[in-house]
Amino acid sequence: MQTIDEPDNPAPQAISLMLAADLQDHLMTATNDLERLQRLIDDAYVVLIDGFQGAAHQLGAAIDEGKHDSPSLQQTLQTLYRAVTALQFQDMASQLIVHTNQRLRGCADQIARDAMGDDPDGEAVVEETPLKPNPVTQDEMDAGSVELF
Amino acid sequence: MHSILAVDDSASMRQMVSFTLKSAGYNVVEAVDGQDAWEKAGGRSFDLVLTDQNMPRMDGISLTKKLRESPQFKQTPILILTTESSDQMKQAGRSAGATGWLVKPFDPNKLIEVIRKVIS
Repeated sequence: MQTIDEPDNPAPQAISLMLAADLQDHLMTATNDLERLQRLIDDAYVVLIDGFQGAAHQLGAAIDEGKHDSPSLQQTLQTLYRAVTALQFQDMASQLIVHTNQRLRGCADQIARDAMGDDPDGEAVVEETPLKPNPVTQDEMDAGSVELF
Repeated sequence: MHSILAVDDSASMRQMVSFTLKSAGYNVVEAVDGQDAWEKAGGRSFDLVLTDQNMPRMDGISLTKKLRESPQFKQTPILILTTESSDQMKQAGRSAGATGWLVKPFDPNKLIEVIRKVIS
């Protein structure tokens, strides 16, 4: 009976150039889409903050006129406070996008280098992937925790 | 009027923090990172420092350590307002001398309540 000897730790197979190019294409498309998403979020934020500042300015003028205790003014202030919490997601979304983009670019560069080797004129440039885990862990629109030491 | 040093590298976050604090009657001085805050803290005193953690040049924990070394800021409340929520980071903040750890996004009413509490 014929037996086939298989090594305990077979050598890893290099991925084909075609597959590497395909994977790199997908990853680069994803990073470009993330950059587009970032621009859309930034544009939306500019419009929202413009409206917010207009309302905040009017509120400030009313406070200066001594209407600080008026119920309608307090109601407007609370509405703006809710907007403050929501508007902070622009900053968090930006951090998340930057972090994910760096990771994807790092993967794309690494795949290219593993499949094609270094450039003829030197070592291939590989985007550094972030060492720290993503700092943005929130997955809902609630306000975060408060802890006093 | 109490003065607060608000530190964040994100312009949008600085706007949100400033609006909230000013609406509660505080005077606000903004800094764009820990280094900028350290320079602004040199010339004057503040009643409270509210700082982000992840910033270029100098992060919030390093800023807290530096401020605590200065006699002028030994007793000043320092709050870290950040997206970071790991116990490890909170412990690092506490060891550096921070007064509290607030995770973004903040609720303006809660932030004002915490600030009134630690300033008093």
